[in-house]
Amino acid sequence: MTEQHLPEPPGWALKLLHWYCKPRYLEAIEGDLYELFDLRCQSAGEKVARRGFAWDVVRFFRWKYIKGIENSNRLNQFAMWKNYFKISLRSLWRQKFYSAINIAGLSVGIACCLLIIIYIKHDLSYDRFWKDGDRIYRIAINDRGPYTPTRLGSFLKSDYPEVESYTRLNGLYDFSFAIGDNVFSEPGGSLADSTVFEVFDVKFIEGTPQGALSEPNTVVLTKSVADKYFPHETAVGKIIKSSGDAVKITAVVEDPPANSHMPFKYLVAMPHEYWATTGWWTGNNFFTYVKLAEGASEEAFEAKILDFMRKHMAKDLMETYHYDNFDDYLASDDSYRFTLVPIQEIHLNYPRLTLAESAGDMDNVYIFSAVAFFILLIACINFINLSTARSGSRSKEVGIRKVLGSVRGELIRQFMVESFLISIFSLGLAILLSLVALPYFNDLSGKQFQSTDLITVDNMLWLTLLLTAVGIIAGSYPALYLSSFKPVAALKGELKSGKSGSFLRKALVSFQFAISIFLVIATVIVYQQINHMTNQKLGFNVSNTMVIKAGSALKDSGPFFRSKLLENPNIGGVAASTTYPSQFVGDWGYSTVGDVKDNYSLYTMFADSYYLETMGVELAQGRFFSRELASDTASIVLNEAAVRELGWDDPIGQRLERTEGVFTVIGVVKDFNFSSLKRKIGSLAIRYDAEIHKTKWGSAYYLARVKGSYQETVNSIGELWGTIAPEEPFDYDFVDQAFAKLYESEAKFGKIFTVFSALAILIACLGLFAMAAYTLEKRFKEIAIRKVLGASVFSITTLVLSDFTKLILFGSIIAVPLAFYVMDQWLQEFAYRMELGIVVFLIPVLAVTLLAWLTVIYQSFKTATGNPVYALKQE
Amino acid sequence: MQRINLGEFEELVLLIAAVLHDNAYGISVLQEIEAQTGRQINISAVHSALDRLEQKGYLKSYLGGATNERGGRRKRLFSVTASGAKALSDVKEMRNTLYDQIPKVTLKLNFV
Repeated sequence: MTEQHLPEPPGWALKLLHWYCKPRYLEAIEGDLYELFDLRCQSAGEKVARRGFAWDVVRFFRWKYIKGIENSNRLNQFAMWKNYFKISLRSLWRQKFYSAINIAGLSVGIACCLLIIIYIKHDLSYDRFWKDGDRIYRIAINDRGPYTPTRLGSFLKSDYPEVESYTRLNGLYDFSFAIGDNVFSEPGGSLADSTVFEVFDVKFIEGTPQGALSEPNTVVLTKSVADKYFPHETAVGKIIKSSGDAVKITAVVEDPPANSHMPFKYLVAMPHEYWATTGWWTGNNFFTYVKLAEGASEEAFEAKILDFMRKHMAKDLMETYHYDNFDDYLASDDSYRFTLVPIQEIHLNYPRLTLAESAGDMDNVYIFSAVAFFILLIACINFINLSTARSGSRSKEVGIRKVLGSVRGELIRQFMVESFLISIFSLGLAILLSLVALPYFNDLSGKQFQSTDLITVDNMLWLTLLLTAVGIIAGSYPALYLSSFKPVAALKGELKSGKSGSFLRKALVSFQFAISIFLVIATVIVYQQINHMTNQKLGFNVSNTMVIKAGSALKDSGPFFRSKLLENPNIGGVAASTTYPSQFVGDWGYSTVGDVKDNYSLYTMFADSYYLETMGVELAQGRFFSRELASDTASIVLNEAAVRELGWDDPIGQRLERTEGVFTVIGVVKDFNFSSLKRKIGSLAIRYDAEIHKTKWGSAYYLARVKGSYQETVNSIGELWGTIAPEEPFDYDFVDQAFAKLYESEAKFGKIFTVFSALAILIACLGLFAMAAYTLEKRFKEIAIRKVLGASVFSITTLVLSDFTKLILFGSIIAVPLAFYVMDQWLQEFAYRMELGIVVFLIPVLAVTLLAWLTVIYQSFKTATGNPVYALKQE
Repeated sequence: MQRINLGEFEELVLLIAAVLHDNAYGISVLQEIEAQTGRQINISAVHSALDRLEQKGYLKSYLGGATNERGGRRKRLFSVTASGAKALSDVKEMRNTLYDQIPKVTLKLNFV
């Protein structure tokens, strides 16, 4: 026979087998496979045999035949690691008390951190979900507010190719719907151009974006609203009545996510065609959004808007503000520019632009990040302190290990494993804790986080990184320090107390207390400031003023409604106005009358003649509007702040001018807070409108002074409303509650801050508790000898306490100046600030000291009262 | 009677190993099973069963001599231990006892 090709099994399969198979079984398996291969070669040919061989190799990949770690070449290493774990677990178990405190502190710290991280991440995630969200911009007028001219968007799109699409929104309003005989008032309605879906990729459930809002009297509902009113049927195509118009539902879309700055619940088509085609360039009524084309530069486009203004708006602007030359106007204080605001920044950086109820705050993001960091730091310090302190008592173990042949690297690994085990236990516990705490945290923060927000790949990755860092930092000191011991010295007990670490420990404890004291001071100041604001005198009757909204629905029955209200014995007075304190007031431009026209911008509201007496606002000069004088529509009443701004010594009789006429000042009211106390009282102009219910200047509100029971009054007014304006739901508010709402975000901030500060202090005390226990354990004999020599329980207790007190005082020396500086900065944003007295600093220091004493005193007392015999008879 | 811990396939493999007497190893067992029962089995299953039986003490194994076949690899030969033999006879006995107790009627109805 000649030399011929011998069939061979596939090499890779053999390699694979060699790689995974336990050496014990390898030979027999390989032999059998070869034999099978040969058999198959004869019966079915080489190809089939090779395939069969490979398949069999794969089939042998069973648990039983796979090499275990013990089969690896680095056998000894593995055994050592196993040993490290075993010893670590034993030593953790032996020191139950300290391990428990370490793990408890660290896990509470990590849980806090985790919750704060999801809070911050939520705040940072606003409007990130829109497709092309990074190209969508809101156009804002610098420092004049969120509204922009009617035709801005459409003209920009036709003038500049980089504008891919634009849309206008307006709202959010409460619209009322009538479905059958039932009338509902539904908040969260926004007027929108039909182009809204070109800018925002709203997901359609039923219907299509094309033509969804292109005609007046059409509405697009979100799923939640559609399900609410049409639970078991399709909403599309249904007709609902809204303020007398028949409105058709053209589509149902998904609800915008919670992290949207425009949480609309339904979109209503723009009601009039002319809203899109006409409009003054100086009248700002809409929110304009543009989506820039891909690659278009924001800065370059922003710069072009100035040319745009010159081209389209110059005429209107010069007329309104009385300039002959547009460049003069641009150079003046009256001028404004359009700026592009990326929508993704609105939530955190532009609270005035958001449509959502509460805006985020970049400062809060920073503050909470700092708090999370501090809490974790305190927990880590505990960890480091305890492990360094305890390390002293393990010097003998280190000595023995070294004698038995451990090299330094192995000892380092041993202590690192211990430190990592604690981190890992803490992580597990922390995740459990944060899951348990989640509902409470939701209450606190007013957000709706799910457990799925908590346990995400991202978060876990973060935490693992964090824990690795903590493990290394906390483990490195004992690992490096202990492993450097000379075995003889260690065994002789010369290194027993771990002295060289004691300075570090003291410094770290002081630092912990510095953080705690800082946090308490901050909490106290935040609360005092909120109290300070809510207790501020507002300059009018806050407590019993009821607001009845949607007054324009009364139409001609306004006066009748008013007279009916006054018949109610519970009502002391009724006024009507276009706004009510705590709400938004528009600022309007006025100019002085004369040769030189000065321009001013005044917050302007309209009121009837009863406003002053009903609201309890005091008159400083002149008179208020009179219902006998129809000419009072050409009169104007200013507040003192406005008079100061206008610089008039004798304001009565002076005149102000606007496009719609000339107004004579007839009176001046004392300053009262018509908006938030975060701002100073602005310059206010009140104008007369005897028939607010028919006003064309804004919404109409009736303000009623309530004398009797609130509930009774609300009920009776509700009934009255139902008979006069049945197609409009009765909606009301109380001024004091509306004001409280303005500080809701501060109150929420205060609450979250308090909880986390309390936890920080708790963790610090936990550490102190363990440190005290350890110190006393070390000084057990010393104290016993002191007692034998006649020291009293009191003197011993104070001896121990004074050691810790020094640390706290040292901490407060760092904390107080820092707190003063930081909180002073924080207070700067409030127009009405509390005084930073000595008390707000002293009380937290004392409180923390007291708390620390309470932590330590039990143990020191126990040690001090113990019988010295037990301490001394050892050995 | 003590409980005998034998699965169906294990019992089959143990029986075949006993039948093959001196020449029971992976391939021979596999081929014998195929020949006797017509069942198609993967070689890894046979190995796994043989190892399990060895663990239970019903089989013992030793490495045979090297040959030129099988790429020069030695065979791992199995032989039935005393407890293996006892297990087989116990199982058989129990089967027989139970089978004898079946009323004749049932058998007729079902099998005839």
